[in-house]
Amino acid sequence: MKKYLAATALALCFSTAAQAEGQLNIYAWAESISPALIEKFSKENDVKVNVDSFTSNEDLLTKLQAGSSGYDIATPSQHFLRVMIDQDLIENFGASKLKAYENIEEKWRNQWWDETQDYSIPLAYGTAGFVVNTEQYKGPTDSFKYFFEPEGELKGKIALLSYPDEVIGAAQLYLGVPFCSEDQAEMKKVLDLLMAQKPSVAAYSSDNIASRLASGEVSAHFWWDGDSLRARKAGSPVSLAMTKEGLVGWMDSYVVPKGAPNRDNAVKFIEFMSTLENATEQMNFYSHSSPMKVVQEKVVNTKDTAPELYPEVPITFSRTCSAAAQDLVTRVWTQLLQ
Amino acid sequence: MSDTALHATAGTDRAPRPRFWHDLSFWGLLPSRLLMGFALILPIFIIAAVSLATRGAHGGFAWDFNLAGYRQILFNEGWTGELEFTPQYLLIITRTFALAGATTLICLVFAVPVAYFISRQPPGRKAVLVYLVTLPFWVSMILRVYAWMIILGKDGTLPRLLETLGFPAGMSFMFNDGATLTAMVYTAMPLMVLPVFASIEKLDGTLIEASHDLYGNRWVTLRRVILPLTAPGIVAGAILVFVPALGAVLEPTLMGGGKQMMMGSLIQLQFGGGRNWPFGAAIAMALMALVMIFLIFTALRAARREALP
Repeated sequence: MKKYLAATALALCFSTAAQAEGQLNIYAWAESISPALIEKFSKENDVKVNVDSFTSNEDLLTKLQAGSSGYDIATPSQHFLRVMIDQDLIENFGASKLKAYENIEEKWRNQWWDETQDYSIPLAYGTAGFVVNTEQYKGPTDSFKYFFEPEGELKGKIALLSYPDEVIGAAQLYLGVPFCSEDQAEMKKVLDLLMAQKPSVAAYSSDNIASRLASGEVSAHFWWDGDSLRARKAGSPVSLAMTKEGLVGWMDSYVVPKGAPNRDNAVKFIEFMSTLENATEQMNFYSHSSPMKVVQEKVVNTKDTAPELYPEVPITFSRTCSAAAQDLVTRVWTQLLQ
Repeated sequence: MSDTALHATAGTDRAPRPRFWHDLSFWGLLPSRLLMGFALILPIFIIAAVSLATRGAHGGFAWDFNLAGYRQILFNEGWTGELEFTPQYLLIITRTFALAGATTLICLVFAVPVAYFISRQPPGRKAVLVYLVTLPFWVSMILRVYAWMIILGKDGTLPRLLETLGFPAGMSFMFNDGATLTAMVYTAMPLMVLPVFASIEKLDGTLIEASHDLYGNRWVTLRRVILPLTAPGIVAGAILVFVPALGAVLEPTLMGGGKQMMMGSLIQLQFGGGRNWPFGAAIAMALMALVMIFLIFTALRAARREALP
């Protein structure tokens, strides 16, 4: 018996010893960071990189709020980044003094979600709207009207996300209600719109979107620009609707959670990902737009080949809502699905 | 130990009772006690505490106790801004119980004949069949649900089969209550079959013969002999299926299309997008209270049955 105990204790010692060398724990959107670049970084710096993925900003925020996540890098969207700074959940790692800062396109520096740009370096941006299967639906797509008030062939063939975040935003764009409205009457209009749409909705789900849309299980799905682009390039008959009311914008940034165990490696990684060459490779992998300076000749998704990434309709970025506005959003969503 | 007990033993020559830490069983049980304490009991107290706390503006909470989380289950601000009775959460709770109940009932209907069949096989084949029943547990739950999506979805196995039989093409059986129930019954079935099998196996065959000898027909034998004797297994199976089914999130979201909330997804929404942890914790406590009532009720019934001659 004692022999086994000793052996177990020994094994435990060895396993922790093996972990003690350079490590980096990344918590990012699923399949968002180029595995080739991670491997390159890992080899160059002799760092073991672990990547976990999340599928919603809410999951990420909850995890950080719960404390000691053990992650060194996370990639929240702008409206959640603001909350994380305000709630003291992420480190000021002096991002504005890094080389990476110089590589951010001027127009994307020092935005409202991080005015001093000390807490974050952006990695990708894009839009959310609705995507149609062009074999199933050949009608017009230039307005959210066809999505929120479907007629004919789209009835019963529509899917939304399982979270209210961008969906409510799109409904607000369509109705002309400002984001984060605290006006009950305005939000009641949003609820009425979604309630009227519900009989035509097949699913509220954020999983498995590509296959659901490609197989024709649904004909229109709320989705992201880059994902739609990737699906189209893989041969799916999909197209992102350029809605005249505009699209919901998002921008994801690298941040360092409070108490990150490998802060130095995190900063090293952010610098590594932000060089011109690597930012270009990352952009080509992720198929979303890059807020970083990139090597233009090497960009795969240009305006001609990837119109999804270059919308000519206005883009409105999601805001950080007050608790009152957030409650209204939750109330709309709960009543919709009650 | 009471005083009288002390006096009773004082006169005898027995060695003093060893301190509890000299007792081997104390150390032997310690790991399981710690596990229970830290992994089961402590978290429940934390959830209870959070349910009474004040919510933070963007999730999280402050240690400032009140009952707002519980009040919110029944009363909320209406669209006119006044506090009014809101039946929506009760509706979600009722729906969740109905779904869990239906799952349990369907599992039971299928599990009893299956368990009976397995128990009447020769030993070698019996072992193989029991192994086959547990086989799905070797695959992750999410994969099992995805498998059903492939079977029922558009261009899936079942629609294709029906197509070759002459039914119209392009059918899909996804995103409805039937699809949710199918996946839930499938994932829960082994939890029902195994306990029922265990109690049917212990059933003494001569009792069934005796029932027939006393002119009991098949129905009477089933009702008066087999069911009462296998009741412990059936109750255990029902609890094992019903309680986890109350917290189901995966099946309603993936198979049912998430069109109607269940308690699991409601709690998830409060901790995630809703950013109202105390309310989420309050619903979790309410769910647990309801489960406790259900379990106490079953335990009382079982005790009463034991007490009968």
